[in-house]
Amino acid sequence: MILVHFPAMLHPVAGREQRVDEPVANVGELLAALERLVPGLGAALEDPVYNLAVNDDMLLHGVHAHPLSDGDVVEVIPTIAGG
Amino acid sequence: MSIRDRVAALHAELAEAPEFPSQGATLFVDLERRETRTGYTPLPVVRTLLGGRGANMYYLHRLLDESLTPLHPDIPLIFGSGVLTGLVPSAARGNCTSWSPESGVLMDSNCGDYFPSFLRMNGYDHVVLYGRRPGWTMIVIRDGVVSFEDAAAYEGLDNIDLRARVQQDLGGVWTRNMAMVNITRAGERQVLTAGIMGGPKAIYARGGPGAKMGALGLKAIVTLAQTREFTTAQPYKPYNRHIAQKLLGTSVVKNALSKTGTPFLYKPSRVLGAMGTKNNQETTWTDALDAGNHDPYRDGMEGCFRCPVNCRPLNDLHSAEPDRYDKGDGPEYVTLGKFGPNLGIDDVKAVMRLNNICNDLGFDTASTGSAIGWAMELFQRGLITTADTGGLDLTWGNAAAVETLLFLMSRREGFGNVVADSARAVEKGHYPAEALKYRMTVKGLWQSDPHDARILKAFALGLAVATRGMDHLRNRVTLEINAKINDDAAFKAELYGGPVSAEPNSYVGKERAVRACENTYAVGDSVGMCRFTTKLFNSPSLPGMEEFRQQIENVTGLVFTPEALDRVGLNVMGVERLINYRLGVRRKDDTLPDRWFDEPNTFGPFKGEHIDRAEFDAMLSRFYQISELTSEGVPRDEWRGQLNAVLGG
Ligand code: SF4
Repeated sequence: MILVHFPAMLHPVAGREQRVDEPVANVGELLAALERLVPGLGAALEDPVYNLAVNDDMLLHGVHAHPLSDGDVVEVIPTIAGG
Repeated sequence: MSIRDRVAALHAELAEAPEFPSQGATLFVDLERRETRTGYTPLPVVRTLLGGRGANMYYLHRLLDESLTPLHPDIPLIFGSGVLTGLVPSAARGNCTSWSPESGVLMDSNCGDYFPSFLRMNGYDHVVLYGRRPGWTMIVIRDGVVSFEDAAAYEGLDNIDLRARVQQDLGGVWTRNMAMVNITRAGERQVLTAGIMGGPKAIYARGGPGAKMGALGLKAIVTLAQTREFTTAQPYKPYNRHIAQKLLGTSVVKNALSKTGTPFLYKPSRVLGAMGTKNNQETTWTDALDAGNHDPYRDGMEGCFRCPVNCRPLNDLHSAEPDRYDKGDGPEYVTLGKFGPNLGIDDVKAVMRLNNICNDLGFDTASTGSAIGWAMELFQRGLITTADTGGLDLTWGNAAAVETLLFLMSRREGFGNVVADSARAVEKGHYPAEALKYRMTVKGLWQSDPHDARILKAFALGLAVATRGMDHLRNRVTLEINAKINDDAAFKAELYGGPVSAEPNSYVGKERAVRACENTYAVGDSVGMCRFTTKLFNSPSLPGMEEFRQQIENVTGLVFTPEALDRVGLNVMGVERLINYRLGVRRKDDTLPDRWFDEPNTFGPFKGEHIDRAEFDAMLSRFYQISELTSEGVPRDEWRGQLNAVLGG
């Protein structure tokens, strides 16, 4: 099982969190599974404003191939610049 | 040659009438004699540097006497609005330029709110101020007519009280027909971290502009005029709609900037292990300061002139016994970082209160938070004690002591006089030389933002080469933090004009990304566009060279290709580097604090990361190569010759 937490701006689409029970080997498979669970969510997550952190480690590249294990916690984190 | 002679020589070369539709005049103000004269920036200068920040560099280059010191009244203070300021959505910005009393290099600071646009409504694109007479002066520009007022009655007033008094005395309405730039008590006392306020929070912050304005004896400039239509070369409003749609259709604007503002960035930075904490001794901090925890105190959003984004969060702390700092404007991410993790403060209400105090006292929160963080590390290390601080306990997280210190700084009293000298505290004899080991500056300027750049090498290079010192707003390749763009090599190469490594901690190609950002942002500043809504800063889909080109043509009739605009961006940097060279800046100054070379990052997925000196040096050489710079970091001969031909003098 992978637990995915969403930021407030995605709550209307995804709720606060989703449990993905089907086996997924990496983030790419997780995103596909999320789209099956909540149609439209995969497309929403394609927006470049969202980064992913796996067990609190933020991924900055090689995202789709990043391996996942049962029990991992994934968090969707919006990123902007700022001043 | 005196400043008057320099102005006279320059003025003789200026055009007597507008060179293109919508161009405003340059107003020269002799504060000592209370005399003014006007002219128009010559067309070749505009074609080379545009307006705003770019043309400001022309004026500084011509009027600077580097044999003086930054606070000498013969060193001018120059305000400039961009060629699109006030006419295009989100182009609400202007720059303020001089020789920095804080850093000793170029001072160039950007601000929005209403003054840059309202200055143009009065018919002026630039204001060049010099000279000083005893006492305090306020300049009032009413429908284009300039008058000098005695400002003795306003002496000692900080931002909240000054804005109330001036409105009462002059009878205008903020945001409708009146705008002001002003200094506070800190500026009057020439505190080196003092900015020039441009609104309740908006500030020309970086490099000590408040101290510079204080040294000229100028308390405020007030503009009064109704907003007006500009005569333009072609209709421009239909294309404005396209720009507004582009702004509001960009998800980062729609979902983050206009709802919460910049504090959104706090969380990604701390999760990444890139949040400068306790003067960059550590790199992560509590989730208690995440943007979501600001929600109970967010009291609406504000914005700048005709900007549809409205990115500035207001706050209301709902204290049981509210005082004047219970409500305010902000904080931005910079303030959150500099007064939160940087000072070891973990209470969001405490940070908001300090933000509100800084807005009133007129402080650049980046330099002020950094200077206090430096003092706290020296206190931690025993290099200073309560005997030096007048009894102030500068233990990390002591928000009450920080509040006391801010007021002492603004009056230059007690230990406040030490911190008021900012990064120059060793030079002024306040701290031992060993303190320099812990000073997080480049070219004498504190880092503008709290992001610890040991991981992202493009960020590090940008901070090293920025012409005004250690500042992210000049060239930050912010999209390096964006995983989807990193994973799309072709798109990334197209964005930056060539391959750039996907790995944030790689040095490969990062010079190219910094070059692209520096050019785009310099053009953005010269047309007056806000950085937050400029392509490459927050999103690849925001307005950039193509939109600037189109709207410059519509408004002014001047035709540029996107490539020509890119060259303008390079030119702006080139002139800035020529100015810095005259002020003693060399390649050795395009570097980073030793801590980032010598001490590895201690947290997160990039634990152990630091800046490798040899790799950094090679990256800097590549940056110089593609930027057409000599080995000492100035434009090469042929280009320098071209620039000098336009700059004249
Ligand atoms: S995006 Fe924000 S800071 Fe920029 S012009 Fe608009 S309101 Fe002002």
